[in-house]
Amino acid sequence: MTTQGAGETLAVRSIDTQTLLALHRKMVITREAEQTWSDMLQKREFYLMGHFGTGQEAVGVGLGHALEPDDYLFPTHRGIAEYVGKGMAQNDIWAEYYAKTAGPAGGKGGLHLSDYRLGLIGLVGSLGADYAISAGAALSTKLRGSDRVVVVSFGEGTSSQADLGSAMNVAALWKLPLIFAMTNNEWCELSPASEHVCTPFVAPRAEGYGIPWSVVDGNDVVAVYSAVRTVVERVRAEAGPYFLEFKSYRVGPHWSGDDGSYMCQEDVCAWQERDPIAACERRLLEEGMVSAGEISGIKKAAQAEVAAAIERARGLADPTYEEMLAGVYSGAPAGGGAREVS
Amino acid sequence: MAEMPYAAAVNRALAEELARDERVVVLGEDVRAGMFGTTSGLVQRFGEERVINTPIWENGIAGMALGLAITGMRPVAEIMFADFMYLAMDEIANQIASWTYMTGGQTSVPLVIRTAGGAGFAIGYNHSQVTEASFLGPPGLKVVAPSNAADACGLLKSAVRDDDPVLVFEHKFLYFVPQEVPDEEFLVPLGKANVLRSGDDVTMVAIGSMVGKALEAAGTLAADGISVEVIDPRTLVPLDQETIFGSVARTGRLVTVEEGRKRGSVGSEIAAEAAEKIFGSLKAPVARVAAPDIPVPPGPLAESMYVPSAERIVETVRRLVG
Ligand SMILES: Cc1ncc(C[n+]2csc(CCOP(=O)(O)OP(=O)(O)O)c2C)c(N)n1
Repeated sequence: MTTQGAGETLAVRSIDTQTLLALHRKMVITREAEQTWSDMLQKREFYLMGHFGTGQEAVGVGLGHALEPDDYLFPTHRGIAEYVGKGMAQNDIWAEYYAKTAGPAGGKGGLHLSDYRLGLIGLVGSLGADYAISAGAALSTKLRGSDRVVVVSFGEGTSSQADLGSAMNVAALWKLPLIFAMTNNEWCELSPASEHVCTPFVAPRAEGYGIPWSVVDGNDVVAVYSAVRTVVERVRAEAGPYFLEFKSYRVGPHWSGDDGSYMCQEDVCAWQERDPIAACERRLLEEGMVSAGEISGIKKAAQAEVAAAIERARGLADPTYEEMLAGVYSGAPAGGGAREVS
Repeated sequence: MAEMPYAAAVNRALAEELARDERVVVLGEDVRAGMFGTTSGLVQRFGEERVINTPIWENGIAGMALGLAITGMRPVAEIMFADFMYLAMDEIANQIASWTYMTGGQTSVPLVIRTAGGAGFAIGYNHSQVTEASFLGPPGLKVVAPSNAADACGLLKSAVRDDDPVLVFEHKFLYFVPQEVPDEEFLVPLGKANVLRSGDDVTMVAIGSMVGKALEAAGTLAADGISVEVIDPRTLVPLDQETIFGSVARTGRLVTVEEGRKRGSVGSEIAAEAAEKIFGSLKAPVARVAAPDIPVPPGPLAESMYVPSAERIVETVRRLVG
């Protein structure tokens, strides 16, 4: 990695077979689910637009998997890797995507997934709104003397929202247990990052706020997982913020309705060579952790799990008109998820 | 019953709620010192962890309140001027309002945002508006506008205890007016209007700083033989339609009075509801007394012409009845 400036280099830790396999499984199921979603859209069998994270699965999975269930994660809009990483079940994801009442949010989340049992406490649709919300959650954990950490995840395009600077300021000022986790995938919707941000990396800006930072290879799931583990331990112990920038690349279009024709095919091909799932597979095989048969077994199991979850979701009850109207105010819980108890 | 200024009544409500529930925290710009006295002295009693000075970041004050509220705290945030509520619009209108619904009730959003609106200092523009009308729309919010010291105390206490987000629009010109407040602890329920004067000819719904002027106008009109019922809704969302429209059903006339501008006003909403629900009881068109649709002008003279006066209210009612 070039252009790391004065950032920290976080040593990549050794990883046990079980953890690497779990990370691999989660990346595979993420890709299978998003691929199925995309195929259903092509065939006009599904309504919900998607912002897929193909090629970036290592970031969300490594990040989510490295956190404890009661750490809070505010994910991005891109893909489902962060939810899967944090442990959200396919059944729950698809019940919400089909807007069915059996979902953790009673089908009222849709794309804006949440699962309060897993520290997934909400996704904002207006980019950057969660800088402040995550700072508030981090202040809350500090005031309550809890050792939870809070992660706010965003893209380099969203780094232009002014609240990022404000949130870094309060996080440093109040020594909040808040981790800024940015994925630099070189694209912001239909335009390259070079039209959005004035420097190739955003993390060095943290230095101006006295926040330590590091740039991490976002296509290496072990590097992501181990960086997050290291940073979480530090943040828990020292209770101060950290800025992580994951370098990756969006090899597909911005969303399901665009063909990506504005992207440079050589770049896409070069990054496809660095596919995180293929790299993880190679490592598992080279280190003799699994056999080729087991690799294809993992893929088949993922396909079956996604298919079953979609099938189940289709059969679930739709909300009635009354159920749609309910739940604007508290006291009318419509979801199947647990109420937050802190 | 002792007299205390509105600002002191707000301060008392906050102190009582901070003492009652340790999940309550107060946050905002300079809340430790307290610009208008509403939060002064609280930090000495409750400490810096409960009374938190924030940097100048209105969207952040609202957003951090949301983050606190969905993780077990009960924040009372302050936006120093009601004009600056617009800087927090994304968090308030897009996030806070919809969070309970969006999460299917996995969480509630027990937060309060207090702010100070209104003319009185003659500086115009960004330090003089009342902005409550802009917050009637986003579903999921409750909106309160106390018109006197006792309501400022009792409504705020109810707001802090409520599990939904409540916006409290205080009025900075009322802050310094001493008024009677009960000595014992009390709550004023949300969603309940207050009939301040009964009458038979006209129902006058007055909001916040206009309640005093509406009562003054009603006194003048009584001398002319026009009997005016004055209602302070106190809570704008949810609105106590039963009390207001019950009164209109008797009087047949409805006048709304507010300090805000006319287009998209609180009165616009009440008038539209009246047209839909009680059109048959109306003997005259609904009248809205409000500020003109211009920015709040600077200078004491322009300000006094901008803000509705008791005389304007009287003229409006005379036209309606005459
Ligand atoms: C406030 C706001 N402005 C614009 C959008 C539209 N939008 C959706 S995704 C996106 C690109 C974000 O880029 P980046 O943060 O780099 O994340 P990426 O999509 O690359 O994962 C934009 C502009 C939005 N959702 N919210």
